Amino acid sequence: MIPLPSIWMIRLSLLYLLISVILGAILLTNKALVLYPSIWVILPIHYELVIWGWLVQFVMGTAYWMFPKYLKQVKRGSVTLAWLMIVTFNIGLYILILSLILRINGIIRISGRSLLMLSVIIFGLLMWRRIVSYRELKTR
Amino acid sequence: MPKVTRWFIKSGIFYFVTGVLLALVAEIPGVHAGPIMLPVYWHMLVMGWITQMIMGVSIWMFPRKYRDKKKRESVLCWLSFWLLNSGLVLRFLSEPFLPIVQYNSAVVATVLLSAFIQVLSIIFYVAEIWPRLQTPEKRKRKRTLA
Repeated sequence: MIPLPSIWMIRLSLLYLLISVILGAILLTNKALVLYPSIWVILPIHYELVIWGWLVQFVMGTAYWMFPKYLKQVKRGSVTLAWLMIVTFNIGLYILILSLILRINGIIRISGRSLLMLSVIIFGLLMWRRIVSYRELKTR
Repeated sequence: MPKVTRWFIKSGIFYFVTGVLLALVAEIPGVHAGPIMLPVYWHMLVMGWITQMIMGVSIWMFPRKYRDKKKRESVLCWLSFWLLNSGLVLRFLSEPFLPIVQYNSAVVATVLLSAFIQVLSIIFYVAEIWPRLQTPEKRKRKRTLA
């Protein structure tokens, strides 16, 4: 059964997919009708949302759910860490997108990317010991 | 593996091969198709391949809202499949040719239609998957109430 942190990550990724596809449709419409050339500023937002918001977050959420679980302790490791992973990932992505909308380089964009990196490190920590076969896990 | 999943994955593999092939062709000296081909092969790889693969596998692996086997391949899944694929095909057949045909109204209309049905496809996919994302507790509660 799906754990709550995975439900949140997958739901957020679905929302980001929807937003990025709508942004893509706006860009495609503008390409065909040439309405507002300045609308191309949303192009980096479109692909950051697809890559980070949709693909990466969906894969992280599903891996956290489906990878082998611990047999003796808390099933998927620290739940607090899992929530920290989700919060840092989404705040990081939000800051990154905000910096792209406002076209601010420098410290804001770096802090967004840093939070994303922190989230990915937490993901690595949570998953590392779960990348095993159940036969190996039973002997621990 | 449900039929709709098999279709999603097979279609995904087709776009994967085609996308990689186009990316290769765009690199050949003298082809000069880079800027025109770029959105085509990127969308083939990201939407046609990776996203379609995820969609197909999630429809198969995510717990179903209904336990009834007949509900396994809902209308939403098939609508999502056909709309996404027809949207992508229409897009790939129209978008690169916009400047060549000097924004001919039929080609413009095809691009707009492709954009619209791709969005629609994702709405249907989200509508299919969203209710399946339930905690074990919520699922149990619903089963007891039923």
